[in-house]
Amino acid sequence: MSKNAPVSAFHRLRRRYGNTMIVALALIIMAILVNMTPLKEQTWLRVLFGVSALNFTLRATVPLVLGALSGILCERSGIINIGIEGMMLAGAFAGFVAKTSTNHWSLAASLIFSVAAAVAVGGLMGAVHALFSIRFRMDQIISGTVIIILALGTTSYLYNRDAIAEGKFSSIPIPGLAQIPVLGPVLFDNPPITYLALIMVAVVHLGLFYTRWGLRTRAVGEHPRAADTVGINVNRYRYINTSLGGMLAGLAGAFLVLEAVGQFQEGMTAGRGFISLAAMIFGNWNPIGALGAATLFGYTQALQNELLLAGVTQVPRQFISMLPYVVTIVAVSGLVGRVRPPAAEGKVYETEGSA
Amino acid sequence: MKTSRLMKLLILLTAVAMLLAACPAPMPASDSGSGAADTGDSMAGDFKVGLVTDVGRVNDRSFNQSAWEGVVAAAEALGLAEDDIKYIETQDAKDYADNMQQFIDADYNVIVSVGFALGDATTTAAKENPDVFFIGVDQFQGEAMPNVAGLIFNEDHSGYLAGVLAGSLSKTGTIAAVLGTDLVPPVVAFNEGYIAGAKSVNADINVISTYHPGEISQAFVDPEWGAATAKQALDQGADVIFGAGGITGNGALQEVATADGAGEAVFCIGVDTDQWNTVPAAQPCLISSAMKLITPGVVELVTMASEGEFPGGNYFGDADLAPFHDFDDMVPQELKDLLEETKAGLIDGSIDTGYGN
Amino acid sequence: MATATSTAGLTRTLRALLIPSLALLAALLAGAVVMILSGDDPMAAYSGLFKGAFGDGKGWARTIRKTIPFVLTGLSVALAFKVSLFNIGASGQFVMGSVFAVAVGINFEGLPFYIHLPLALLAGIAGGLLWGAIPGILKVYTGAHEVIVTIMLNYVASLFGGWTVYAGGTQGQTPGPLWDRTAGAISETPDVLHSAQIPWLFGPPYRVHYGVFLALAAAILVWWLIFKTPLGFEMRTVGHNMRAARYAGIRVNFTIILTMALAGGLAGLAGAIETLGLNHKFAPEFGGAVGFDGITVALLGQTHPIGVLLAAFMFGALDGGAATMQFESGVPADIIQIIQALVLAFVAAPLIIRMIFRLRQQEDQDAGSAVSTSWGGT
Repeated sequence: MSKNAPVSAFHRLRRRYGNTMIVALALIIMAILVNMTPLKEQTWLRVLFGVSALNFTLRATVPLVLGALSGILCERSGIINIGIEGMMLAGAFAGFVAKTSTNHWSLAASLIFSVAAAVAVGGLMGAVHALFSIRFRMDQIISGTVIIILALGTTSYLYNRDAIAEGKFSSIPIPGLAQIPVLGPVLFDNPPITYLALIMVAVVHLGLFYTRWGLRTRAVGEHPRAADTVGINVNRYRYINTSLGGMLAGLAGAFLVLEAVGQFQEGMTAGRGFISLAAMIFGNWNPIGALGAATLFGYTQALQNELLLAGVTQVPRQFISMLPYVVTIVAVSGLVGRVRPPAAEGKVYETEGSA
Repeated sequence: MKTSRLMKLLILLTAVAMLLAACPAPMPASDSGSGAADTGDSMAGDFKVGLVTDVGRVNDRSFNQSAWEGVVAAAEALGLAEDDIKYIETQDAKDYADNMQQFIDADYNVIVSVGFALGDATTTAAKENPDVFFIGVDQFQGEAMPNVAGLIFNEDHSGYLAGVLAGSLSKTGTIAAVLGTDLVPPVVAFNEGYIAGAKSVNADINVISTYHPGEISQAFVDPEWGAATAKQALDQGADVIFGAGGITGNGALQEVATADGAGEAVFCIGVDTDQWNTVPAAQPCLISSAMKLITPGVVELVTMASEGEFPGGNYFGDADLAPFHDFDDMVPQELKDLLEETKAGLIDGSIDTGYGN
Repeated sequence: MATATSTAGLTRTLRALLIPSLALLAALLAGAVVMILSGDDPMAAYSGLFKGAFGDGKGWARTIRKTIPFVLTGLSVALAFKVSLFNIGASGQFVMGSVFAVAVGINFEGLPFYIHLPLALLAGIAGGLLWGAIPGILKVYTGAHEVIVTIMLNYVASLFGGWTVYAGGTQGQTPGPLWDRTAGAISETPDVLHSAQIPWLFGPPYRVHYGVFLALAAAILVWWLIFKTPLGFEMRTVGHNMRAARYAGIRVNFTIILTMALAGGLAGLAGAIETLGLNHKFAPEFGGAVGFDGITVALLGQTHPIGVLLAAFMFGALDGGAATMQFESGVPADIIQIIQALVLAFVAAPLIIRMIFRLRQQEDQDAGSAVSTSWGGT
């Protein structure tokens, strides 16, 4: 009986989180092998699994996984959120404005305040999306598109290019863990929002699957009529979840401005919100699956850069640059019958008797 | 309806929040749009200078801004009125000709068009309007026209000097360049010069340089990519990083500035202007910048146009290294001498960067 | 068409026009509020905008010239909406259309114009058709949602377009196949041969070409296709209720792929017309931003071809006047984008407009089509 246990555990994991987990695991094992053995002399292996590739992967993954979590929260409650890109951008802009207006504060206070501002504005955008979708019965995909265009236009119009954000988050090595070879510098020597993003994966996972709130959220997204009959306020759950989702997207924006760059730039989300959506679908609306998918997409971006930096191939760089997008398309199409979105997604819910 | 009051409140709150979000942002820069001081009276009203940006904004902390500052400085020197200088920010590459036409229709005397992408539109407009002077920044003139001056630079020269500096400073034997797109020739010139310069002082040096992988509309405005790529280069052992590509490059500089050993073991080199002033966040690592001085070039050409001595054809602006500022003590005297010699060699042609051959 | 002049038809037309007009009005008002709050002068801005769009012959020319691609990308998105498909990929299809058209346009010297020009236009349509068919095929056979696929294909198209004119690297990278060898290091194609250029209707400085009529013809053709052909009936049925359509024996999969391909073809034609009529070459900076605006145009036009024409004209005027607005008032053109987003919001949620203007709820549901068919796993 014990002979089968690891196999079935593996199967359970795989069934639950999809192949993305296997990708992530394989990546870690190969990385340890390559970086700790003479294999690192091989250019190609270094390109594929070097520490710089892994660092780049994690960095690219953070906004993607936060965006994907944002999408999961909204969609699990039945609201399609295509506007993650716009919520992220609005959050980034708010974080920037907050940072530039509090430059004279102590760095930590100013940064924390700015993160709060980014999260708040992201949440506000989420609330607007919910308002459009629920109260005004706007088509949810169109509402998301409106959020994106509005965020793009407003942030460009209001952006004051002479404002300078002084300082950004720097790495906080975790004592002990940061000394582990290979994994230490990659996983345990990061700035705070990166840690927070990884923690949020666990929080959203536990929240969705192990709390009353999570159960109700899923009920609202799958079968609102039934949820209503047992006394759950469907639209209230949708408002709350969409706002929470907006807050996570705002946090992704804060990551870009306050941790990754230290400055705002028009349209700086550069499609990350859309790739987040793909990560959400590829991860089967599951936080841990989304982390795996986001890691895969982050890794293809890292790979693209590693290939260009190493100059190991004569393939025109435009084709190398297509990698993340093509991988995304392959990922969302290679799923015949395997993913299933929440059943009530995209539909306006009206209580009995109201019209 | 029971919820209706709540909804109205929510809408109101949203509106208020949006207004609040708007308020801390200072006035949009358009107010500085016609910012020349109304100092003199000599030429007010009869000499007007317009500027058409490349796709982007006039205060982009990059080449559009440098060119506009040139127009503003020239206007101050010539005593033009505030209304005599204006810019139009291009929204779409298809609008170059239209935007220039706006100035032509309003009887402007000089039109500055910024960026090599406006080259064709500038040539066409110049042929149709022989009485208007055109200054084309980064626009190489294949055949000289009397009313078009292409303000161009030997970017490979300043790139070469940056390469000599980087190659001499590097302890690890690996240096890097984080660049805008190779769809734009000046960026390629900077990079080729940089590589050649570094190899001239250390033939074995490992230069890892990469262009932005995306489309042209993103290549110069992607600071996150610049920062992540700089980090990647640091992880691969590079200890001097050349950030050349507008805001993308600025992202790289800021990343190096917050890295371990910034200003002691790892350094960054800026581009276009003296970025010590334009990107203060990069100061902890910014040892110098590979400059192409657009602002003084524009001032000179506008002034010449006002005096009726406009030089048609190609007009070379200065390309040089910026001062070392706080790092002056860290650059040994022999390296300073070497840089001076190299500069002289580049000017008299005894040193060839290899670009364009 | 004749019946449309009857009173009932007229009332319906007026009602269809009411919400978009009020939405535009509300958006302009909201835009003015934003401008006032940030210290700009909305009156100066709007008068500059109007002057730039309609002030003189050149203004009208700008407006008309800019309307052309909006008509076609708007039709592209609107056609897909009729089948409940959301085509965010018009910008990628636009780029592919430009690239294919220019590939024909710069080659085949010596062909007479009546063969060369149609050939180049057809090539552009084919490029867009191909790029539109991919998401259709993937949707039908793998369930991949067209929103994600079309967005990703936009990036791929943009990179592909960049590669075709890539000037080559100094480390042995080969230049792209369409690159103009005489342009030096600049990445662009040679000029389109004269025989493949769309002739001017009004030459420089007006630069309005005969593409106007192609855009009009496309709008009529799409109208005819949707409302007067059996295929159009099938499309509308699939868009209305996919399951019912399947029971009724309609080839749903075929309809989806065909619609996406045709939508792509329209956006591709937009790219071809812009390239052959106006730019006369392709360069990476001639991207497909108009593709994204096609979404707003389609929704503002209530996904009806005639509505799309009107909406495109409005967008053409907004874009045509933007530069003059900045020239006259110093207000940055980003405000146009805000106004466009607000128009979209108000059109897509007629309830907001009803609330603002205190209109009575209509008994029939609004024309806004439903596209949220979820992500479609199986």
